[in-house]
Amino acid sequence: MQPADLKFSKARAYQLARRAVLFSSLSLAVLTPLWRLGNIERESAGVAAQGTRVVIADRLPDVASPMLGAPWTVRVFGIEFMDPLAAIGLAVAGGFPLGAWLGVLLPLVLVAALGRFFCGWLCPYLPLLALSNSVRALLARLGLALPDVRLPKRAGFMLLAVVLISAAVGGTQLGALLYPPSLLGRELFRYIFYGTCGTGALLILAVFLFDTFVARAGFCRSLCPGGALFRILGGASPITVKRVAPDCTACTACDVVCNLGQKPMTDQIDSGCDRCGKCISVCPTGALHFGIETTAKSTSFALRKGMR
Amino acid sequence: MNRRGLLSAALAAIAGVAIGLRARKRRTHFLRPPTADGAAFEARCIRCFRCAEVCPPKAIRLDGSLALTIDLPYIEAAERGCTLCMKCTEACPTGALTPTAPDSRIVHQSIKMGVPILARDRCISWRGAGVCRLCYYVCPYPDTAVALVGPQQAPLFDPAQCVGCGLCEEACPSIARAIRILPRRAVVG
Repeated sequence: MQPADLKFSKARAYQLARRAVLFSSLSLAVLTPLWRLGNIERESAGVAAQGTRVVIADRLPDVASPMLGAPWTVRVFGIEFMDPLAAIGLAVAGGFPLGAWLGVLLPLVLVAALGRFFCGWLCPYLPLLALSNSVRALLARLGLALPDVRLPKRAGFMLLAVVLISAAVGGTQLGALLYPPSLLGRELFRYIFYGTCGTGALLILAVFLFDTFVARAGFCRSLCPGGALFRILGGASPITVKRVAPDCTACTACDVVCNLGQKPMTDQIDSGCDRCGKCISVCPTGALHFGIETTAKSTSFALRKGMR
Repeated sequence: MNRRGLLSAALAAIAGVAIGLRARKRRTHFLRPPTADGAAFEARCIRCFRCAEVCPPKAIRLDGSLALTIDLPYIEAAERGCTLCMKCTEACPTGALTPTAPDSRIVHQSIKMGVPILARDRCISWRGAGVCRLCYYVCPYPDTAVALVGPQQAPLFDPAQCVGCGLCEEACPSIARAIRILPRRAVVG
């Protein structure tokens, strides 16, 4: 059985909602740079109209901007939001003011409640992952079975540690170069502003090739430092996929459809679940559903659960 | 934690420290956006593109080299100088750039991006090949950062007064290309 053979017949509203959220986030990622480019071109035109090339900004026409930046760190109507990976990288580098955490609070609360749902609902890499899976399915149909290497789960946590330690010794914010949402947002901006791609495009290509030819969704599953962070922070999330055992026919559809190596059919769901709900949607007998898990009692337990 | 876990943790720690220290040691040859303070800037920039996003002359670009400096913003003054509008400092979410008022007096006091290096053997005025004065006309601090001397009205820069915006480098005619703005850090350390 291939993931491409499976039909989403259940929980259609859930998949529709997920795709709508993903589509709006992708649209914003494309429309914001276009709109911003229009803004600065209008500003430059204003400068040219004043007949001087040298302008210190109190003479520049100010264009009001309700939105600034890509999702990695965005300002909406004056409120700053920041990706937890960026925020923690800055915090360990020292001098991330307490007030700045306000904009990280919302993502943190969402992750604590919902686990690594960003990965399944918002990550701009998802369309590329879908493409990678299609290439894999196509090649499999042509008789070329690609490997699906299972890297140890700790690889992602190691990468996260490298990111945080290199930031802590005051070196560099490596997360920006290893985290697909950051890379993709920036490359979109760069392409729209300058018409060129940067080294970031090569890094994205490397992730894509790895996912296609080495391990299915291998980067998301076991390398992404952001995913690893969300696993730790969302370890206490009570929301998980539950199975009604008598309804289950052990058809393996749910295990096959999962990009992240979860095994709902045998009730083996860990912090790697991105709440995409595809397993629920493909289950032919409707034996799977989202439920509340109440085993996580303490934070330390949750942290250990997240690392598992 | 078992032995393999410990080993991985140690490996990650060593790699992290090695990469971090390597990034710290680097001396940049890039002209960074205004208020970027060398090592502190490079340690805090999360490469979000927001400084480039708000830059009216599109002077800010992102490093495309294959090094740890990938995608850090810089200014290629030969193509586009900084108009000192200070919008990038206001857009920066991390403190890699320090918000600064776009007031010409404050900018003069607090911005020290680079220092001008003039190759007199290339300068039209210094060579006696004509009267050019373009650098003087575009300078936001004429008579302070650059003065005109002699019968050919040749430019004389005062690095202590120059903010390093690079507008003169941009303006310097392509037949001369006599001015280079070097990052202050690369010159004075």
